[in-house]
Amino acid sequence: METTPIKILLVEDNPADSRLLRETLREPGTAHFALTHVERLVVALQRLAAERFDVVLADLSLPDSQGLDTFRRLQAGAPDVPIVVLSGLDDEVFAVSAVREGAQDYLVKGRVDAYVLTRAISYAIERQRVELALQEREEHYKRLLESITDYYYTVHLENGRPARSLHGPGCVAVTGYSPEDYQADHELWFRMVPETDRQAVLDQAVKVLGGENPSPLEHRIVHKNGQVRWVRNTVVPCRDEHGRMIAYDGLIADVTERKQAEQKLVKSEAFYHSLVENLPQNIFRKDMDERFTFANQRFCTLLGRPLDEIIGKTDFDFYPAELAVKFQRDDREVIRTGQIFEAVEENVSPSGEKIYVHVVKVPIYDPNGQKLGTQCIFWDITEHKRSQERLQTANAELARSEAALRRSHAELKSAQLQLIQAEKLESIGTLAAGVAHEVKNPLAILQMGVNYLSRKLVPDDENMVMVLKEMREAITRADSITRGLLDFSASRQLAITAESINTIIDDTLRLVRHALGESRINLTKDCGANLPPVGVDKNQIQQVFVNIFMNAIQAMPQGGSLTVRTRSRTLTETTHFEGSRKADHLWVGDAVVVAEVEDTGSGISEEYLSKIYDPFFTTKPTGVGTGLGLSVTRKIIELHGGTIDIKNVPGGGVRVTITLKAQKEQT
Amino acid sequence: MGKRRILLVDDEKSFTNLLKLNLEETGNYEVRVENWAEDALKAAREFRPDLVLLDIVMPRLPGGNVAALIKGDAELTGTPIVFLTAAVRKHQVEENDGVICDFPCIAKPASLETVIEAIEKHARK
Repeated sequence: METTPIKILLVEDNPADSRLLRETLREPGTAHFALTHVERLVVALQRLAAERFDVVLADLSLPDSQGLDTFRRLQAGAPDVPIVVLSGLDDEVFAVSAVREGAQDYLVKGRVDAYVLTRAISYAIERQRVELALQEREEHYKRLLESITDYYYTVHLENGRPARSLHGPGCVAVTGYSPEDYQADHELWFRMVPETDRQAVLDQAVKVLGGENPSPLEHRIVHKNGQVRWVRNTVVPCRDEHGRMIAYDGLIADVTERKQAEQKLVKSEAFYHSLVENLPQNIFRKDMDERFTFANQRFCTLLGRPLDEIIGKTDFDFYPAELAVKFQRDDREVIRTGQIFEAVEENVSPSGEKIYVHVVKVPIYDPNGQKLGTQCIFWDITEHKRSQERLQTANAELARSEAALRRSHAELKSAQLQLIQAEKLESIGTLAAGVAHEVKNPLAILQMGVNYLSRKLVPDDENMVMVLKEMREAITRADSITRGLLDFSASRQLAITAESINTIIDDTLRLVRHALGESRINLTKDCGANLPPVGVDKNQIQQVFVNIFMNAIQAMPQGGSLTVRTRSRTLTETTHFEGSRKADHLWVGDAVVVAEVEDTGSGISEEYLSKIYDPFFTTKPTGVGTGLGLSVTRKIIELHGGTIDIKNVPGGGVRVTITLKAQKEQT
Repeated sequence: MGKRRILLVDDEKSFTNLLKLNLEETGNYEVRVENWAEDALKAAREFRPDLVLLDIVMPRLPGGNVAALIKGDAELTGTPIVFLTAAVRKHQVEENDGVICDFPCIAKPASLETVIEAIEKHARK
């Protein structure tokens, strides 16, 4: 039957005793034992640490340990292994103490036979096993009891009134008071309820006494340690076989933790509710199907509907279709990407007014991370936007005013320059007139002198002939300079008549025909037909063309081409002279006649372009030009209210463009 | 045929000297010079010219005033006056057939031929 032998550790230093015991254990009829014998405590402890024994037989008097101490150390070394103490007659007192401290048994040496020994060992093992099991169960129940937060009680009635109460053992854990405490103090159950909750507890008791099944009541109690705890009190009436109320049973459950969590939740709820309802923003939520699941009061007010008329609806129920489509598209995008959507967009107020709103949409998730839908916060920024727009408008206006100011400034500056230039030219004109006049008189004297000498000339004297000729020419030249000066300064009075520009040009070309021929210049004319007449002083304009043609001819000493074009058009841009004082400028939209004279000469070097109208500025050799031609030309054109433009032609040559106002047709 | 009597009124002494020399050199003219405009009327009365060559721009008394004085003088009123002046320009003279403000004009500087031509045209025969 026994498959494994009972393992015994024998701790005994007396060889005779140990031999005797060994012998006894070998006797037939005893159980099958496996004996390990050691003589010292230290060795015994080593063996116990190394292997599992079923039982220890130990003499308390050992070479390295004596008495009760030996037992204690063995027990500490193997607390689960039963120990049977071996004692002599003289030290039996120690053995008894050891048993008191937990040894399973003791045997007195010399009085032990096989039967007693075997029984002692078996009992020791068995007792130890039972003790351990008991201990374990006790701990289990203790844990169980400690974890119970409910208890029951029964209130017995006599003549319909509570007479005594029985409280279950769980009451200690919940209230701190024992069943005996309640038995001793009949009002304890009521006193432990704080005053604020007592009425409710009484009401419940009255109801159950009246035979009702009142709904469970949650109320506070004060624990014996002073802590306030929440309990859930469920009562049911208890009747005898005749249906008479004899008692009622109650179940008290500790709900403090739940209650605290609930209160926390309520607080938190109130906190967020307050936030959501007091924020100046509109807040709502939608599910995955775009149906509203929440809206704060502000949004309800905005839509003009109570919350229950909003929940379950979609944007299409409140907004124009194109807006609803846009809103839902944005929602889906938020759900798809999981990203926050933020924008300023147009919206429509319930009154149909267009408003601007700032929108923030976020995806919402359940605690498992599953998408639930979207939450949107938006607020009206129309006023803000309007102010911004007003600001922008104001800014733009400011910028425009500034630009206008700059333009005026530039125009003023240009006008000032023109005035200065005009004053300068005016002064030069006055001076020139004076100079011309004063020069003429000495020239007249020289002329008379030369005349006289010429008459007295000895014809043989070639040198004298040459000298007088040079002098005559010098007088002529000086005279032509004075004439130019006077032309420049005078010409105030124009004899305006309606003239054909083509006729004036033809007449002028006849005057310069000789010079054209001399320089072998090809003349090309491209004159528009049916040009409107121009109101000009014919002589003056002829002088202008003479000057221009002569300049062109002189620019082409090796020959070339002179092209003359005329046409009429409507002005699309304006230019005016620097220095012009005339009020009757040409304006955009004016009908004008344009004459262009183009040569194939050397052109005007860039550095001189700005000086060509300056009086006395010339690039021609001495005696060829007076430096007054173009100043006079421009002066004349200016007096006619026209413009002159002189430009180099790409590829060489100069183009002079004269623009004169066309005379309105007489009607 | 006697020489024509020419009164030359001009404040420019060099000019009057040379013109006088030139005109008298031709042998056709007797020239009296008056450099003071204020004395021009007196000189005309004394000299009784066939023609007055009259400068315009002169100090104190412009040629126009001198002409008015001469024209206003009962005995001299028929005396031809030709302005010889730097105050007009040749082309102005040419464009107006040599007459400006009812008076014949010669623009300075003028060649001797021009002066003689004008004298021959306008002088009292």
